[in-house]
Amino acid sequence: MNDDLWSAIGDPTRRTMIDLLLAGGSGTATTLAQELPVTRQAVAKHLAVLDRVGLVTGRTAGRERHYQIDEAQLAKAVAQLNAVGASWDARLRRIKRLAEAIERKRDRDG
Amino acid sequence: MEYGSIERDILVEASPDVVFDVVSKPEHVQEWWPDEARFEPVPGAPGELLWRDPDTGETMAVEMTVVEVDPPKRFSFRWVYAEPDRTGPSLLVTFDLLPADNGTRIRMTETGFREMGWEIAVLEEAYNDHVTGWDKYIPALGAYVDKR
Repeated sequence: MNDDLWSAIGDPTRRTMIDLLLAGGSGTATTLAQELPVTRQAVAKHLAVLDRVGLVTGRTAGRERHYQIDEAQLAKAVAQLNAVGASWDARLRRIKRLAEAIERKRDRDG
Repeated sequence: MEYGSIERDILVEASPDVVFDVVSKPEHVQEWWPDEARFEPVPGAPGELLWRDPDTGETMAVEMTVVEVDPPKRFSFRWVYAEPDRTGPSLLVTFDLLPADNGTRIRMTETGFREMGWEIAVLEEAYNDHVTGWDKYIPALGAYVDKR
């Protein structure tokens, strides 16, 4: 389990930034700040957090750094998150199967 | 809406006392979860859940503590402690059993994610939206590719 990755996307502002980057293809601290209720400096800090865990990659073009989502890393994060809920679905299905088998056996044996 | 926990609901065609045994007795728990479960179904009892890696033969033990034992209505325990020796924040799993037509409804909740600083449940919800999006777009892309 990668705690850094999870805490990186645990922040609602950063999740909105991920959505904006997915929708727009790429963005800079300036363009993202225009769509968020936070300053350009705050956006730059959030981008640095996302960059550190590999969720975004940046390249410098002109005076600004352009960021885009690293889809492989995002997919990995999504898979980890879904595994947490999905594993309970699987466990509960096994509980159901087991309990119903015991119940049937009990009915049969009287 | 708050998503600090994971909640699941399942209808089982078995009586509450059968279901209670399945969720609370180690010999049953190891049938549906770890390779081995070591605990006494007694409030406060420390225990362990063990998984064995068949390739390396290594055993991974996860500490747990039984919290509530109220047959045939509720069984709860803590696991995934942040610190060794069952200290620090942990996750709380609760099974509530409700009598239903032809059986029992199990309501499972797992809470404590926010305290762990993970917000897993929050993220699961948020990212399921993306997965739903991908599930929708990827077949569309397949159909598009097929037409070419």
